[in-house]
Amino acid sequence: MAYQLYRNTTLGNSLQESLDELIQTQQITPQLALQVLLQFDKAINTALANRVRNRVNFRGSLNTYRFCDNVWTFVLNDVEFREVTDLVKVDKVKIVACDGKSESKRLKLLLLLATFSRILMKLLFSSDSGSNAAE
Amino acid sequence: MLTNTGPVAKLYLSIIDDVIDSMKELFLDEGIEDRVLDDLRHLWESKVMQSKAIDDHRRNNINSSNFVLQLPAGYQQTEPDLAAPAVIPAAQNFNSFPVKKNSGALATFSLPASLAYPVQIPAGVTLQTASGQLYKVNVPVVVSQAQAGQQPASHPPPRVTEWRDAPALQPAVVPPHPIPPRVPEQSALPASSITHPRPSLPLCQESSLPHIDLTLGDNEPAPPPEPVNVSTTASPCTQLLDLQIRAEEALAQTTKGRDIYDILKEVIEKETEKVERSRDVAAGNSSSRSEAALQDYNALSDIIQLDGPADNSDHEEDEEVPLQENDFLGLINAEVIKALQEENESSDSNSVASSSSGGIDELADVEEGVGDSALNAFGSYLQISCKMFANLLPPKWDY
Repeated sequence: MAYQLYRNTTLGNSLQESLDELIQTQQITPQLALQVLLQFDKAINTALANRVRNRVNFRGSLNTYRFCDNVWTFVLNDVEFREVTDLVKVDKVKIVACDGKSESKRLKLLLLLATFSRILMKLLFSSDSGSNAAE
Repeated sequence: MLTNTGPVAKLYLSIIDDVIDSMKELFLDEGIEDRVLDDLRHLWESKVMQSKAIDDHRRNNINSSNFVLQLPAGYQQTEPDLAAPAVIPAAQNFNSFPVKKNSGALATFSLPASLAYPVQIPAGVTLQTASGQLYKVNVPVVVSQAQAGQQPASHPPPRVTEWRDAPALQPAVVPPHPIPPRVPEQSALPASSITHPRPSLPLCQESSLPHIDLTLGDNEPAPPPEPVNVSTTASPCTQLLDLQIRAEEALAQTTKGRDIYDILKEVIEKETEKVERSRDVAAGNSSSRSEAALQDYNALSDIIQLDGPADNSDHEEDEEVPLQENDFLGLINAEVIKALQEENESSDSNSVASSSSGGIDELADVEEGVGDSALNAFGSYLQISCKMFANLLPPKWDY
C-alpha cells in the first residue's frame, strides 16, 4: 500500500473535493471514492518515482524538526531552492517526509522533493514569468 | 484538458490519466456509468486548473478564502422600512459578489460598490460559496456598510448558519447567538443565593443544570413597576428573563415588520442598562403576583404545550424546586422566534409562564409594563425553558 502522503497536495485535494461532490450527489459511493484515492496514491507514487527526474538543492535555517511514527516533519525558514537555472527564495517551508523504504539515496531525495513539490512548483511559476520552470 | 502544458502540467495530467484509466474498470464493475467517470475527470482537472490558473503566490498570501455570494433568482427587497434599501434587480438571476471570510464562525461579505447599502437579505436565502459550501440565512439579515478594517460587532449584520450537507435545516438558532457568546459558564455560579448582579447573562445549559444550586431567598425583591425586571438576587434565569423582557419590550416598541434580529440586537444593547437597574430593589408583593402569574401561566400553557410542567398544583409545595427550574436558561430557539413572530396573533394578556415564585416576581413586572403580545411571546419562551428543565425533574410532573 502506497503512502497516502500526497493526498494533501493540490492534485490530491482537488481529487478529494471532486469525489466529495460526486458523493454528495450520490453518483458514487464513499467506498468507491476510497478506491479512487488508493489508486491515486499508487499512481502518484509511481509517477514521482519514475517520471520525475528533477534535482533541486535547497538551503535554509532549520526551525523545527520532528520524527514521529517514522515520519519526518521539518520547518525551514528563509530557504533558497536552487535548480540548474532557477533560484527561488521562500520564508517558510514545511517538509513532510516518509521513509523511502529503500537504501537508494536518489529515491529518498525524490520522496523528499515530492512532499513539497507543490510549494516548489508554485514558487517557480510565480517567480519565473518568462522562463520555463522546472525543466 | 489542462491547457498549460508545462512539465508540471504534463506530470499532473499523466497522473490523472493513470488514475482515471485504472478506475474505469472498477466503475463499470460497480455499475456506474462512464459519464460519472468523465464528470470526475472534468471536476478534477478544472480544480487543478483553477488552482494553477490562479496565481498561487497570491493564493497563499490570502489567508481567508473567497466566497461568492449567489442570490437566488427573483431576489427582492421585502422590507422597505430601511433607509435606502438596496434592491437586487429581480431580473438578475445570479448576483455574484466576492465575499471574504474572516473566521470560521463568521462570514463577512463584501458586496460590490455598485450595491447600495444597507442590503437586506430576507430569510430563506441560500448563499453559496465558490468552494461549494452553502450558507442558509435563517433570519433576515441586514448588510450594512462598515468602515474598512472595522471589526465586525459582536452581532454583525450578516449572520448565517452554515448548512453543508442535508437540506434539512436545523432549528434556527441564529438570533440567539448574540446572547450565548457573551454569557459566562453556568457552572461558575455560587451555590448560595446570588446577592450581586451579574454583569452579563449566564448561559444556562441543559447539561449544566444539575450543577446549579441556587436558592432564591424570600427576599426576592419585587421589581419596580417597569418592564425591565431588576433584582439584586436575580438568578441567572431571571436575568435572562430580563433579557427576554427587554426583547419583548423592544418588540412592543417596534413595528411589526421589524426583524427579529434587530430586536434582539437592541435588547443586547440594553443589557448594560440592566446592570444598573439590577441594583434597584423594590419591595413588592410577591405572593399576590404569584397567584396572578400562576393563573396566567395556565392560560399560557394552552398556547404552546410541548412537554413540561403544566400542573400548578405543585407550585406551592415545590416553590423551591421550580425556582431552580427557572434558573435554567435555555437558548432562545426557533420556538421563541416563532413566538415573537406570532405575537400579534396571540390574544392573551399578561400571560406569563412560570412555575416558581422567583420567576413570577419578575414576570409580574412583565405584566404591568410590557405589551400583551410581548408578554405572550415572553411567556412562551419561559414555557419552553421550563419544559426543557422539566425533563430533568422527577416524574411527578405531568409531561
